[in-house]
Formats: sequence, structure tokens, C-alpha cells
Amino acid sequence: MARFLTPRILGRALPVVACGVLFLVPMLTDDRYLFKVLTFVGLNVIVIAGLALLFGFAGQISLGHAAFVGIGAYTCGYLTAARGVPWIVAVIAGTVLAGVGGFLLAIPSLRLKGHYLAMATLGFNEIMSVLFVELRPVTGGNDGLRGIPFASIGAWKIDTPAGNYLLVWGVAVVVLLLTANIIRTRPGRAMRALHGSELGALASGVDTGRLKTEVFALSAGIAGLAGALYASSVGFISPSTFSLEFSVLLIAMVVIGGAGSLAGPVAACALLTLLPYADALIPGLSKELIALIQDWEADISGFVMILVLLFAPGGLAALGRRLGGTSARGAGGVQ
Amino acid sequence: MPDPVLQVRDLEAGYGHVSVLRGVSLDVAAGEIVTIIGSNGAGKSTLMKAITGFLHLTGGTVTLDGRAITGTAPEKLVRRGLALVPEGRMLFGPMSVAENLALGAHTRTSATEIAQDLERVQALFPVLAERAAQPAATLSGGEQQMLAIGRALMSRPHVLLLDEPSLGLAPKVIADIFGVLDGLRAEGLGILLVEQDANLALKHADRGYVMRTGHVVLTGTAEELANNDDVRLIYLGAWHGNE
Repeated sequence: MARFLTPRILGRALPVVACGVLFLVPMLTDDRYLFKVLTFVGLNVIVIAGLALLFGFAGQISLGHAAFVGIGAYTCGYLTAARGVPWIVAVIAGTVLAGVGGFLLAIPSLRLKGHYLAMATLGFNEIMSVLFVELRPVTGGNDGLRGIPFASIGAWKIDTPAGNYLLVWGVAVVVLLLTANIIRTRPGRAMRALHGSELGALASGVDTGRLKTEVFALSAGIAGLAGALYASSVGFISPSTFSLEFSVLLIAMVVIGGAGSLAGPVAACALLTLLPYADALIPGLSKELIALIQDWEADISGFVMILVLLFAPGGLAALGRRLGGTSARGAGGVQ
Repeated sequence: MPDPVLQVRDLEAGYGHVSVLRGVSLDVAAGEIVTIIGSNGAGKSTLMKAITGFLHLTGGTVTLDGRAITGTAPEKLVRRGLALVPEGRMLFGPMSVAENLALGAHTRTSATEIAQDLERVQALFPVLAERAAQPAATLSGGEQQMLAIGRALMSRPHVLLLDEPSLGLAPKVIADIFGVLDGLRAEGLGILLVEQDANLALKHADRGYVMRTGHVVLTGTAEELANNDDVRLIYLGAWHGNE
């Protein structure tokens, strides 16, 4: 029996099993808090799928992804709450606007690499953070935007925690399938080539400039989609959510999960998102320990990131591969 | 000489304000190996980068198959039939040998043609078939050079440019690789070869150009160059008649 459980079969079966478990949860429990927490995990997973593509595979860092989430959230929130636009239209608008933002940011950033690209995208996040506060008529300023309606299609309203949970995870699964498909096929190969050696990619006929712009726009659009879903499932958004701190946490998730992997960053994303909610998920934790975790959340993820960079540069994905005995397929270059 | 597939006229290029190429002209015809020899700093690698679009040109023209390609971006030149095997190979290390070869065919769409060319490349370098699933970074230096050439051939070029293919390789491996280049010439490929090892280059080339400080100072058939006293003295290491 055990010899059928090869890493290959496990690799195929694990996502299916995970999906099954995810969609069984609503049948097993009606704990609203649990749904809320797991909805946050799903939203972050969506963002991480796009960021893993951009940063983990194509090797282009973005310290501005929280801002793209914010663009999606404010667009959807404003359009549905203040303008009465149908939910699905608002979500599409949020996704497209964030994608256009990514496209516009990518054009001047094409010449930039490494630290300089990090600085440019960091600057973008800061600019957007200021705009989220100052564009008061649209964003509600520091008070945020309240009364954002739940998701609805026609007369059908998704207004229960379980409904939102299923909606977000449904989208997350679709986004994961889409990214996994991109990674497996020609554009994914070109991205890994770009990451490995830009000169080699150019010499092989890969239009790296166009590729970078497209991946940037796609990744930003996916972040915007998550933002739009966040706005309608939570009902209230405020600028502090989309700060640089969140961008850094997202990058940490990809690094801890492993560049050049999709499953690793998704796992890291789940773990780091659940960290502050440990009290709800692990019964019997002492109050002191929970308070400690919540107070030191950022420090814990930072510390884990340092440990990963020092001792397991390939992240969770590489650890998994080592256990499973399969070889890497990631990115990076022969120097 | 037949009509050249690659024609370079009065090429000028450099880095910032430093001009390196000061009017270089050369031709490569189908089915010939043309070599550029010269010492370090003569501008050989700069010439390769300038022809393949990696450097901004300040003057001159490049023509491929009779069409001007001056100033065309490198990734577009691959579609036109100009392939570069870059210095240092620039492979995609963690990606498998098969994936590196697949990337060489990135600009092409016909799956059957790609499969044919893969077969052909694997016949030229059988080791690439044996190690198809292995990450490129785990190959030996010689195997990596074979992969770099194989990747370039996967774009089905009319002209192949090689920048220092023998660098750091064992004589046996060099002989294998140059044997393959001889075979490709026989099939009608035009090859432009930059080599430090002038002896080796002139042994396999039909014609050659000698570069010094951004100029072509001498040109001729490989035989003429190999028997030229200056070339023998400076580039072939002959001294007082010793060989």
C-alpha cells in the first residue's frame, strides 16, 4: 500500500484532498469565528498565488502588493456602497483597476532590478497609502469605508460567514488552478528562465520586457481581486490594512514558502495568517501564550524568515522536496 | 564567396562614452565558419553583443538574409534566425536540460517541428538526451556548453554566433564540440565564432578576421591567417620559428 504513495502521487493527491476538506468544513461546523479566520486565509492565498508567480517564479520583487489589494478593495467598496453598482461588476472593476495599476507601475520599473525594484514598489505602496487616506470622498479617509454590502448576484445574496468562506475559497481554488497552469506551460517556463538568466532568456527569444509587464499586471490584478472580495466579505475597510507592513508580510510568505514553488508559499501563507488566531484553532493554549503570539506576530514571522534564509533557503517547498525525495524545479541561475 | 547571410558594415558601439568598436565590417556566408581572433580587450565580445542587439549601436549596419536588422532587440533577432551562444553560457541552472532546450524553441509554435529539432540536437549531443531530466546546473562544463549550443539550435537559426565556446573546457570535449560545429557547417549553417584560442579557431574556420582595439586589422582565409607572420607571432604563440 505504502509504495503507491510516491511523492508524485502525493503531490497530485494532496491538493485534491485539501480541497475536499476545505469544502467539507461548512458541513462539520457552524463556528462563525472559524469561518471568518479561514476566509482571511483564503483571501491571502489568492494574493500569494499571484505574488508567487511574480516574485517566486519570474523573480521580480514587489513591496507594493498590499496597495494593489487596497485598490481592489476600495474600488469594490466604493462602487457597491456609494454608487450601488452590482457586486460582480464592482469586483471586476477592482480586479481590472489593480491590474492596470500593476501595468503602469511595471513600465517605469522594467529597467530596475533587485533592490531598486524593491524601492520603487515600496514607494508605490507608500503613495497609495497616502491616497487611501487623502482621497476622502472615495475612501472615507482614516475612518475607512463602512457599510459595504455583501456579495450578491441578482437576488442571490451571500451574507452568511459560511457563504463568504465558500465564495472566497471557490475563487482561491480557481486562481490556484490558473496559476498552476501558467507555471506548467510556456509562459511559466519563460518566467523561470527570466529569473535564472535574463540574458539567456533574451538570447532564447523571450521578450523579457513584455513578460515582466504582463506578470506584474496579472499579479496585481489577482491581488485586486482578493481586495474586492475582502471588502465585500468584511463590510468595512480602512487604510491601515493596506500598509507596507502587509506587503512585507506577503513577501515573507513567499520567501518562507520557497521561491519557485506554489504549494510552499500557500502553506506558509496559511500558517502565518493563522498565527494570530492560534487561540481559536488550538484549544487549551494558555492566555499568556496567546497574548505573547499576538503581540509578537510580526517579530515571529520576521524571525522565521531569517531562520529560513539561513538554514533552508529553498523554504518549505525545499523541505518538502527533501522529505519526498524529488528534485527541485524552481528558478535561479548558474552564475 | 556566396551571398553573405550576415553582413556587418562599419559597426560602431561602446559602453557609455567609451567607444569600443570603431567601424567593424565582416561577412558570414551560409555553410562557412568565420572566426574573429584578437587579444583581450580587442572588442570581440562587444562585437557579438552589438550584432545580437544587446548593445546600442552608434553607427553602422547589420543585415541578415538581405534585410536590415540594425538596432533590432535580441529577442526579435532570434525569430529572424540569429542565435547567440553567449559567453558564460547563461543557462537556466535549476531547470532541467529538457526545459532549457524547450526554451530555445520559445519563439516557435509547431510542436512537430520542435520535436524534430529536439531529436536532431539530441543526436548531435547524445548526453543531452541521457541527462534530459537533470538540472542544467549539475552538468559538467563541457555538457553545459553542449546544452547552450543545443538551446541555440532549437530556434532553428540561419546564423549561429558563439562567444568563447572552448573557454575552460578539456581538449577532448573541445574536439567533440568543434566536430559538431564542422557538421553544422556542412549542413549549411553560417557560424561566427569568437575564440581566444586562435590555433583552434583557425583549424576549424574557413575565414577569419583579426581584431585589435576595435578595428579589423587583418582578414583572409584561415590558411592565410595561420601562415601570416604577425598572426603566428602574436596569436598563435610561435616564437623564432618554434611551433
